[in-house]
Amino acid sequence: MADQAAGPLDGLRVLEVGDLAEVAGKLLADACADVIRVEPPGGAASRHTGPYVADRPDVNGSLRYAAANTSKRAVTLDLTEPAAADVWAALVARSTVVLDGAGPGVLEGLGMGAERFRAEHPDLVWCSITPFGLTGPWRDWAATDLVHLALGGPMMSTGYDDHELPPIRPDGGHSLAISNEYAVTAVLAALWLQGATDGGGQFIDVSIHEAVSATTEGAFPNWEFLGNVVQRQTGRHAAAAHSAPWQHRCADGGYILLMGGGIPRDERIFRGLLAWMDEHDAAQDLHDPQYVQVLYTDPTRSLETRNHVSEVIGAFVRRLPAEEVYRRGQALHLPWGIVRRPEENLDDPHWDDRQFWWLGEVPCHPEPVRYPGAPYRFEKSPVRLRRRPPLLGEHNTEVYVGDLGLAQSSVEDLARRGVI
Amino acid sequence: MSVLQKMDRGDDPRPLPLEGVRVCDFTWIVAGPQATRILADLGADVVKVENESYLDSMRIGLQTDPEHPSVNGSGFHANFSRNKRGITANLHHPRGREAVERLIARSDIVMENFSAGAFARMGFTWERLQEINPDVTYISLSGFGQVGRDRSYITWGPTAAAVSGCTEMSGLPDQDPAGWGFSYLDHTAGYYGAIAALMALHHRRATGEAQYVDIAQIETGMVLTAVPVLDYQVNGREYRRIGNGSEHPPLAPHGTYRCAPDDLGDDRWIAIVAETEAQWAALCDVLDAPSLADDPRFATIEARKQHEDALDAAITECTRSREARALMYALQARGVPAGMCQRTDDKMERDEQLRERGFYPTAPHSHMGSHRYEGYPAQFSDARWRMARSAPLLSEDTSEVLRELGYSDSEIAEMKAELAV
Repeated sequence: MADQAAGPLDGLRVLEVGDLAEVAGKLLADACADVIRVEPPGGAASRHTGPYVADRPDVNGSLRYAAANTSKRAVTLDLTEPAAADVWAALVARSTVVLDGAGPGVLEGLGMGAERFRAEHPDLVWCSITPFGLTGPWRDWAATDLVHLALGGPMMSTGYDDHELPPIRPDGGHSLAISNEYAVTAVLAALWLQGATDGGGQFIDVSIHEAVSATTEGAFPNWEFLGNVVQRQTGRHAAAAHSAPWQHRCADGGYILLMGGGIPRDERIFRGLLAWMDEHDAAQDLHDPQYVQVLYTDPTRSLETRNHVSEVIGAFVRRLPAEEVYRRGQALHLPWGIVRRPEENLDDPHWDDRQFWWLGEVPCHPEPVRYPGAPYRFEKSPVRLRRRPPLLGEHNTEVYVGDLGLAQSSVEDLARRGVI
Repeated sequence: MSVLQKMDRGDDPRPLPLEGVRVCDFTWIVAGPQATRILADLGADVVKVENESYLDSMRIGLQTDPEHPSVNGSGFHANFSRNKRGITANLHHPRGREAVERLIARSDIVMENFSAGAFARMGFTWERLQEINPDVTYISLSGFGQVGRDRSYITWGPTAAAVSGCTEMSGLPDQDPAGWGFSYLDHTAGYYGAIAALMALHHRRATGEAQYVDIAQIETGMVLTAVPVLDYQVNGREYRRIGNGSEHPPLAPHGTYRCAPDDLGDDRWIAIVAETEAQWAALCDVLDAPSLADDPRFATIEARKQHEDALDAAITECTRSREARALMYALQARGVPAGMCQRTDDKMERDEQLRERGFYPTAPHSHMGSHRYEGYPAQFSDARWRMARSAPLLSEDTSEVLRELGYSDSEIAEMKAELAV
């Protein structure tokens, strides 16, 4: 049965430390790598970040932590304690990959960094994920998600037509996601090279600032090739020249996104759209042949003509309920999307057809919940929820005694001294 | 040695991590090319297969010389397809199809991002791909995925963002959703596409098993919405936009503040966050605003959060006469998380960090000449990524690739004359 099959990274041993690698750790863990997250005895930062189950702050009740720590095991270890050094060294020794999100120079400063261990374990793949990378004048600057999305460029492309309103930082911790996705590509590529060349470790220096800076699509070529600075616009692409709206508030209060302003990409689809508009007597002058010629990607058509077509289509969809616009537009092969709140996808049976949701536990909550699953369906090596997010220190005994072979008594001693 | 490998040889002896990995790349627009761009940057031999009668529309977009539009003149395409080789093949011609099948036969990965079902209708079902090459991994990247009742629906990046919840999660609470001002989910779907390809290669190396991976672009956005999805199920809370603020943890100031105009106008902003009382004190000091530091409404983090609107207005009074970059440096010197909202010209011409790290290397293009491109955001100790060449011209590498596939020069000439390639 496919669900019992091993995932694509079965057998890979990963050690994760710090707060800037937790998404990378999750992606590897869900793919069946054995990921052990090392947290300070008080817990990782995300354990202290809400929202919490029942809004009660609890190191095991953070939904932020739950979202980014599925399928991992977790141990506690105070790396600032001298007594932690041997335990840490043993954890590193059993690992193929270390995901180091502790911050620039932090582990090095404790004598527990890559330099020492790469000498001892030459096959180790050590991936550092830091705000700005480990070199350069900004290396030690302070950063948060907001600061990253400002510096990297997404914010200057995102917001409203009205520039009295500020550039907008989309919610969701995207700088961590973007950088950690890149980090996973780097780690997997390094492992591939290792396998292809019979060994050899790697130190990888991932910069969150660079990862975000590479994630702005059209803003980059506009500047490099044309000297254009794109201007942010409500609910659509930033552009050098103002474009007609793509996003409309429909009759029921819901929003619809009409990709590219709703202009169909070919004449057949345009005819279908006009027939639908005619049912509502809403086509205005769009039957004029000059408009039927307006194809979605034709750059020879003037912006004003395209904007007029968009405006007529926009006025039409605003008269209908959003769901109807979405379903009927898609039936005509128009790439139109309804603007959903995230939780509204729980009610869309399409995702059930794909078995997208993972039914599992959230600590501190009595009922099973549906986690967003993996965005990829592997035919033979399923990526799936391996275990619920770990409690703080849940696997101390299992890992320290079971995997590392420490004596139960010395683990108890470390606990008494507050090292774990 | 291919043209690209020759161009790639610098004086850096370190290997490319994916050297030897072969990708048969049917992707177009943005999401698929973003995935194969990562593989190509890391050294995979990515051969982009194109069809002159069904062009990648990104070859048309963002013309670098708008007076003389050309399929080889798109800066957009140049950035997303650098380090790849390009061939054209006519799948309706038997010899064109045969050439593509030979390419598939020697590839490790086939990737496409057509609408669901389209690749199969072109004759390349998973079963057929396995007949051609039992070791090939097939990565399909479509909007809603190849399975599910709405699989015939189609997406572009913004469509996927809307349905996934990512659009709704951006913007001010009392305004329309701001969405994303670019196709964020084309990037993201590309990142997950590259991850999936590499995971599948690992599985194949470990087990000998090749496989098919079905990626839905919208799901690559849905995985980024896990916190509100859990919050709704556990606490019954519907998602509500938070602008640039921070509710978890509750922080103030945590926002974006207008700065002094520059030569492009007054749309200049800086993001500032104070996570600790020490940072708050340093902020007041740098802003030279003792009245802020002394105001009882702003005395504690709870009080500041409670009076956030007044706080933001008071901070803006201080920032709007300050030059954004200088203020950022002054705040960072005192340990305050701060970053100006950079435009691309800021990043490419004035960002000392990106400059120091060599993030915008140049690469040649056979039509557009030499330009800078976005780098790969990581550095390796004992390997490297490359910026060997910009995107291929349409069909630039057809002859070279066909020779590698075993065709003679006379056969290639015939195939070109017959419009098979």
